[in-house]
Amino acid sequence: MAGESSMAERKVVVHLRATGDAPILKQAKFKIAGTDKFSKVIEFLRRQLHRDTLFVYVNSAFSPNPDELVIDLYNNFGFDGKLVVNYACSMAWG
Amino acid sequence: MELCSEEAPRFVWEGAIPLQIHLHESEVTTLPPPPPALILGPRIGYLPLLVPLLKPYFSSTLPPGVDTVWFDYKGLPLKWYIPTGVIFDLLCAEPERPWNLTVHFRGHPGETLIPCESEDNVKWSFINALKEAAYIINGNCKNVMNLSQADQFELWQSLMKGNMEGYQRITSRLKLGPVGEDCTLKTGSGQPRQALGETDTTGFNRAGRIPVRLYVRNISEELDDLDEATAVDSWDSISYMNRPVEIQKLEVQHLTLRDALKALLPEIFEDKAMSDNQVSSKEEGIQAINSSFEDLRNTEFEETSIASESVVLAKKPKVKLIRIQGIEVDLNIPFFWVINNLMHPDYFLHICVFVGASSRQ
Repeated sequence: MAGESSMAERKVVVHLRATGDAPILKQAKFKIAGTDKFSKVIEFLRRQLHRDTLFVYVNSAFSPNPDELVIDLYNNFGFDGKLVVNYACSMAWG
Repeated sequence: MELCSEEAPRFVWEGAIPLQIHLHESEVTTLPPPPPALILGPRIGYLPLLVPLLKPYFSSTLPPGVDTVWFDYKGLPLKWYIPTGVIFDLLCAEPERPWNLTVHFRGHPGETLIPCESEDNVKWSFINALKEAAYIINGNCKNVMNLSQADQFELWQSLMKGNMEGYQRITSRLKLGPVGEDCTLKTGSGQPRQALGETDTTGFNRAGRIPVRLYVRNISEELDDLDEATAVDSWDSISYMNRPVEIQKLEVQHLTLRDALKALLPEIFEDKAMSDNQVSSKEEGIQAINSSFEDLRNTEFEETSIASESVVLAKKPKVKLIRIQGIEVDLNIPFFWVINNLMHPDYFLHICVFVGASSRQ
């Protein structure tokens, strides 16, 4: 589709916040391409935390489906120039 | 036109697709093989919810092992968290009745598909979508999060059983709509939507943002008959986008579906020079929310303005078909009518867009 190459250049700042007893990451903020899917954020967290089961939320509220584009999540739910992603080892917000 | 129809949502809720479900041949251990299962799949439902109906058909023939049920259509593993009606609209360019699906109880394609282990997974996915929609509409999803366990249970049961009244009893408390003057009167007065990130909105104002999930599928431009569209062999060939429509003025009820689609997908629906259109769409009180696309449009305009008019026209992808809830919707229909009557129970409007892409590229 038209314009996809320009979209790929747009990066989104993701702010990772631990919830409950989840370990805190050394680097809490990172940039990710807007065209990446949310699954990439989940994968990143799984690798960092060495856990298969992880609960990942946006704005302490909901878990988007892994197919959603990071740029869409940022436009829908981001504020102050970043997308806040919370992660927990057990279910935090049902 | 009445913006809230009594009938239309009922048609949406009662809509169902006749399914002919075959057990994958690798899982048939008996002779003769079991006949396919014929069932009606509710459009607003999700495929895993059919498992309790399907299991009795096939359980006696399955090889030993543990069940992880998944479905495919012409080899494409189906995403269970997309409503059944939307998958059908998207994958069957020309509606196929009955719809021939294949069910698998073994050999889950782990990499390409999130497994669905139980009905709870589906419920979780639905409630999350509802929260997302609420967040887009109100700037928070407090009302959904504050639902009691009993209400959440009733909401889910209503969806599973196709009980529209039960569903509406719960969702009327979520303050998510409907839109339009004659409708807001029914549910109470609107209050201005609060800024993103603030957490205590109690009122609502549907003049704000409308949650939309877009599924854009490319088909060959030269195609005359949708019947001949090549089957989708990978989800990568479908662009899945979540872009809200921002409605800037409450009174703009004459907005059409075309206006909304232009704002959502300027890449496809622009029919004039981009800068002109940007101005006019703002005058109409509507624009796509993401500013990134504004930049994009400007740069595109600069590039294309150098080229001759005919080249621009040749490059533009052509919209072949718009389908919402199985309906080829007239683009001149009021957008508010579409939202109020054709949205999915998760409060998203799921729109399938078929775009004719030139095969020369």
